[in-house]
Amino acid sequence: MKIFDPHVHMTSRTTDDYEAMARAGIVALIEPAFWLGQPRTMAGSFIDYFNSLLGWERFRASQFGIRHFCTIGLNPKESNNPKLADEVLALLPRYLNKEGVVAIGEIGFDDQTDAEEKSLVKQLELAGEYDLPVLIHTPHRDKKRGTIRTIEVVKRVGLPEERVLIDHNNEETLPFVLETRCWAGHSLYPNTKMDEQRMAVLVRKFGTSRMIINSAADWGISDPLKVPKAVEVMRANGVADADIQRIVWDNPVAFFGQTGRLDVGDISERPAIDRQQKFENNSVLRGEQITATR
Amino acid sequence: MPPGNRGLILLLATIDLLTSAVCARAGTAAQTWLDAAVSRAAKGDRDALFAAYTNAPKHTGRDLLQLPVSERAALASTAPGTFFDRWTGDDAGRAVLLLTLAEHVGADQFATAAIECYERGDSREQQSWLKALPLLPGSERFLSVAIDACRTNILPQFESIACENPYPERYFPELNFNQLVLKAMFNGISLARIVGLSGRLNSELSRMALDYAAERRAAGRSVPLDLALALTKDAPTEEQLR
Repeated sequence: MKIFDPHVHMTSRTTDDYEAMARAGIVALIEPAFWLGQPRTMAGSFIDYFNSLLGWERFRASQFGIRHFCTIGLNPKESNNPKLADEVLALLPRYLNKEGVVAIGEIGFDDQTDAEEKSLVKQLELAGEYDLPVLIHTPHRDKKRGTIRTIEVVKRVGLPEERVLIDHNNEETLPFVLETRCWAGHSLYPNTKMDEQRMAVLVRKFGTSRMIINSAADWGISDPLKVPKAVEVMRANGVADADIQRIVWDNPVAFFGQTGRLDVGDISERPAIDRQQKFENNSVLRGEQITATR
Repeated sequence: MPPGNRGLILLLATIDLLTSAVCARAGTAAQTWLDAAVSRAAKGDRDALFAAYTNAPKHTGRDLLQLPVSERAALASTAPGTFFDRWTGDDAGRAVLLLTLAEHVGADQFATAAIECYERGDSREQQSWLKALPLLPGSERFLSVAIDACRTNILPQFESIACENPYPERYFPELNFNQLVLKAMFNGISLARIVGLSGRLNSELSRMALDYAAERRAAGRSVPLDLALALTKDAPTEEQLR
């Protein structure tokens, strides 16, 4: 089964992860811009980060037969640093038309402050202006209220709801998202957020329309194989293969492809691996012989 | 800074108590080092201050102070509301450096240097800084640093501001105080460690805590036993909400 993981922070992962993901059927992924676990103190750090999402990380994924796309945005946590936020928001337009950028994200609420709302509104407006879908993070704390407030902001700004993917849903938030025309993302984590068994229950209860799952794997305790693992669990719980395929491929492709930024032809097949390629004279090889043939 | 007569007397007394606490545990070499570092800090030598702030543990050690009752009582009168249970030798040494600087330079000069100690600090330096925050003269001007510190994913760093520390109770606006309590709950930190929680309860916090309990139950997970500490007396019970 062809699998798309539409939310995974590969910058924090190893080449072993890339190999295992490719082996498990992941053909394409999206790496949303987020925070790095440690607050950045200057806008220049964001320039280098965005450049690495568009450059080195994209290249690195290709060396394992995986198509890498990204979303660009200012995350909620760092939106609370006013000077930094203004500077980063001002440089976003430079990045939104770049190849490989398929949406604005991840944006949204963390502490649910006014500064976070200002940054969210500004980026929703940019999404309208640049004809891009948006990936919205929902907070760990006070999640239900944060999700409802997110939906209110989306409605107020007036970006078409079908252009909005609201992520990290759980049993308490999903009904609110499905009442709108927004898409519903679910991050499958080892200990927090959602897990595979609960996800199978949600799919059986709410169906597959506008439903998306991801690993959201990053530098914390997380698992980049959560989407393939969920495929097995859904199957074991009696979800039909066609429905599973819709959740792990058709839906993310339809959502991120809706304004033409995700080239669907481009992802129909796994990219051929050519490890003689180099990125700015750098290679994922560390002096070893080229043995991969796939 | 000057913190006013009474403030200055308490500040000097706190400096003395922390200095003796460090030196009694780390020995005469520590005393010599701290005296020299303090005298350079007193002259406003910023580079010397930053170097000493970083190097403190090499001289003071990193062990918990484990203050006896008499020293706790003395500190409770000079620095009311601050709990020193989890303070280490380097925490105390760093606090002495900052407090000495505050005693000798103007308020703006102090604030600039103090913020630089924090922003260029590694995680342990930042933890020491956050523990000392309620002792600093004019500490309300560091509110945005303290709120930002709560966004860390490094748990000991979060605990340095959220636990055994009277600063959030005194200065955090309701939204940020509530988020701090939720984050403590989320990370399995005992709510009893949040200073002044009972005096800052509010209906919004009760709602957030009960929503959190509902979310945990919907996911088939346990609910923290001390969640009730975050509820006002008139908050509905979980049963009433179901």
